[in-house]
Amino acid sequence: MIISVWRYSHLTLAISSFLLLTIASVTGIFLAFEPVIEKSRDYKAASFDTLTLAQTVPLLKEKFPGIQEVSVDDHQFVLVKYAAEEGGDQQVYVDPATGKVLGIPTEKLPLFQWMTTLHRSLFIHETGRILMGITAFLLILIAVSGIFLVVQRQNGWKNFFSNVEKTGFAQYYHVVFGRISLFFILAIALTGTYMAVYRFMPTPGKASALIDESQIKEEPLKELSEFTVLQQTPLSSLQKLQYPFSDFPEDYYNVQLKGRELCINQFTGDILAQQNYTKTYQLANFSLRWHTGRWGTIWALLMALASAYILFFIYSGFAITLKRRRGRSKNKFKAKDARILILVGSENGGTFKFADAIYTQLIRHGEKVFITDLSNFTAFPNAEQLVIMTSTYGQGDAPSNAKRLADRIRQYPQGQTIQYSIVGFGSRSYSRFCQFAFDIEKLLQKTSWANPVLPVYTVNDKSPQDFSGWMTEWTHKTGFSMLMPRELLEPDTADLKKLSVTSRTNPDEEASFIIQFKSSQLRHAVSGDLLAIYPRNDHRERLYSIGKVDKNIQLSVKLHEHGLGSSFLNHLQQGDIIKAKLVKNQHFRFPKKTKKVIMVSNGTGIAPFLGMITENRRKIPIELYCGFRNRSSFTLYEPFLNKQLSKGNLASLSLVLSREEEKEYVSHRLLKNSDAILQCLKNGGVIMLCGSLSMQNDVMKVLEDICSVEDPMRLPELVAQGKILTDCY
Amino acid sequence: MKLIIKSLIAFSLFFISSAGMAQTSSYKCMIQMNSYQGEKAYVIISLINRKGEYEKTLRVLGPDKQWFNTLKEWYKFQTKSKEKISAVTGASIGGGDRAVVTLAIDSKKLNAGYTLRFESAVEEKLYHTKDAEVPLTTAGLAAKTDGKGYIRYVRFSGS
Repeated sequence: MIISVWRYSHLTLAISSFLLLTIASVTGIFLAFEPVIEKSRDYKAASFDTLTLAQTVPLLKEKFPGIQEVSVDDHQFVLVKYAAEEGGDQQVYVDPATGKVLGIPTEKLPLFQWMTTLHRSLFIHETGRILMGITAFLLILIAVSGIFLVVQRQNGWKNFFSNVEKTGFAQYYHVVFGRISLFFILAIALTGTYMAVYRFMPTPGKASALIDESQIKEEPLKELSEFTVLQQTPLSSLQKLQYPFSDFPEDYYNVQLKGRELCINQFTGDILAQQNYTKTYQLANFSLRWHTGRWGTIWALLMALASAYILFFIYSGFAITLKRRRGRSKNKFKAKDARILILVGSENGGTFKFADAIYTQLIRHGEKVFITDLSNFTAFPNAEQLVIMTSTYGQGDAPSNAKRLADRIRQYPQGQTIQYSIVGFGSRSYSRFCQFAFDIEKLLQKTSWANPVLPVYTVNDKSPQDFSGWMTEWTHKTGFSMLMPRELLEPDTADLKKLSVTSRTNPDEEASFIIQFKSSQLRHAVSGDLLAIYPRNDHRERLYSIGKVDKNIQLSVKLHEHGLGSSFLNHLQQGDIIKAKLVKNQHFRFPKKTKKVIMVSNGTGIAPFLGMITENRRKIPIELYCGFRNRSSFTLYEPFLNKQLSKGNLASLSLVLSREEEKEYVSHRLLKNSDAILQCLKNGGVIMLCGSLSMQNDVMKVLEDICSVEDPMRLPELVAQGKILTDCY
Repeated sequence: MKLIIKSLIAFSLFFISSAGMAQTSSYKCMIQMNSYQGEKAYVIISLINRKGEYEKTLRVLGPDKQWFNTLKEWYKFQTKSKEKISAVTGASIGGGDRAVVTLAIDSKKLNAGYTLRFESAVEEKLYHTKDAEVPLTTAGLAAKTDGKGYIRYVRFSGS
């Protein structure tokens, strides 16, 4: 809930200000180069920091008889303005120690003038200034809500700068760039806002207004260099000094220093009046320097970079939002008004395709439908029909967006009778086919309000026939009209890439073989990712773990007699080309920073590890426990692993055989080595599991036993911290 | 035909300006502003002829062309005459500040019925067409002239 508040405000603010923000950022990038160009001319004199006004002011008056004022800019260049003998006013940069002319200031480029006016006021004067002020203020709120979103994403302030989970380009860099540049953007926004607000504050009084003209003396006459106040003031604190215009006694030296303004009697050197600058004024000056980057070249360039980041944020932010909106939460009706509810459970979004298709059809027929995640189950006062479409995760578990369903059903007993129908999605090749769908059925049977309209329907391998079977039955029973959506009849061929077979082995005694592909389109595949292949060019998809070996995608395949995927792969010969899709598997990656990795596999589960071991350039000690039935099935990997051992990429190898010799499973072997396992976990090492789900269960039980020696609570924690990684099927 | 006219104009302009330059006098002028709240003021100093019409822009104190149209009377003359003013622009002047400028004026215009007009405007505030007016006479330039708007007074000294 809290997340959505921050996200919602972050998005609302961004939408309401993005147009003006874009203008401000683009012009801001350009304007940042103005101080950089200025500074690059470097008229700063070497003696600048040691001089006092008593040395500088008389000298410049002597060198420039028509002198009107001397000023020091943010780059500490000393500028003299004087009436030239040949007529007209002149401005030159000088060396304050010698009066030597160093250069002539150039006029502000028309481009910068134009950009400044656009940046400050959009060419629409006061209204524009107020608009840009509001934009700056919104930027503060965007930055602050952004900071909180990062904190939430990273589970606390402590992890603010720790690794970000890599999910899609826009999302990843939105967060990664965000964390660094947020603070610079906040500085831009705060100073910009303050300058806008400052316009409505009273300006500080002028020292000249405090002069009592009747008290001005003309004696004792002093030399300019003898004026105490000039002797006590270093040149570095000067902003501007105006020489008296005439010999009239009421004329004076006007001196603007960093913190105050003075009027000095031109004959006696007495201070006629003094005005300290207010805090609000000094803060405005400070804001101006920081906001414009006049403080220094590096800061100015950082400002330019931060402005460029804002543009990237605008792009990536909207990209993320569009992606998030697509397919989901496009609800036309509210949950409380809906007659038909579609609740979806899906781990990687596949089931949404089906749910969305029927949602769209029902809406088109004018039905009041509401679609959401199973975890969002709540009170639905007007619901008559409930359709649950869900996949199953692992061995019969709830997908991550359905985990809270059981609790929520208990929490929200519905007030009226609701008819329901459950559709389970899965593949018959798993023993617990559609288990979670049946579990939901049991949950609903216990309630007083749920009435089944149909038994649980299962859809094997996203089969359109299976789905259309349910659809016919459901429309028949409920009276809603629907046709099989065409998009479900066609295979999901988006993102398919070409791969060509570079080499393969023949099936060994255990019918296992290795096949390698190369693909210019899949160079970014990483060991641990999955390759989805479509053996019949239809909706049926098979996933294989990738090991990246010598830049090739390598799969370890066990040939099953009627296996759809394995026999398809077995028919391939060197040079053949197939189409497949890469499925990223972020949670199963070789850890970048760890002291030790223990890899545990059985059978073809060794596939991703073969890639990870060859890529172990940092020589992190890896211990591999691999289980096979017979020694002969290991011969496929033996030469390769021996080479890795001799190279030092692999620290140790434990071969575990289940049908020969010691006849044990990897879990047994781990238990035997429990001291080493415990040591590894205690030192922050990582354990990776890949293979069958039953192996995962056995190994997890063993790990639980090993951990319970130390602290019974540790195993779930280790899983949560990513110290135990699993990819089992 | 057009070309001939153009060259004639160019030639005569050149003649007039070079003839004028020989007899130009420089006047140092100090503008003391009142203490007022708000943005810096744009001040324009113009030479006004005997008929009370604008003849020449002597100085524009204000950097941004976007704001020139707020000084309406002068702007009308400016757009009509298409006078080049980029050489005589400078910074605007804040409340309570003073600015010193050197004006180059044709000596023949002194004591010949001309006036120096100081008009001023502040963003989103009042515009003063005749904030201060100084008769271009020996006596007028010697005196201190009070302003009616953002300008407190104007003072000259020859050089």
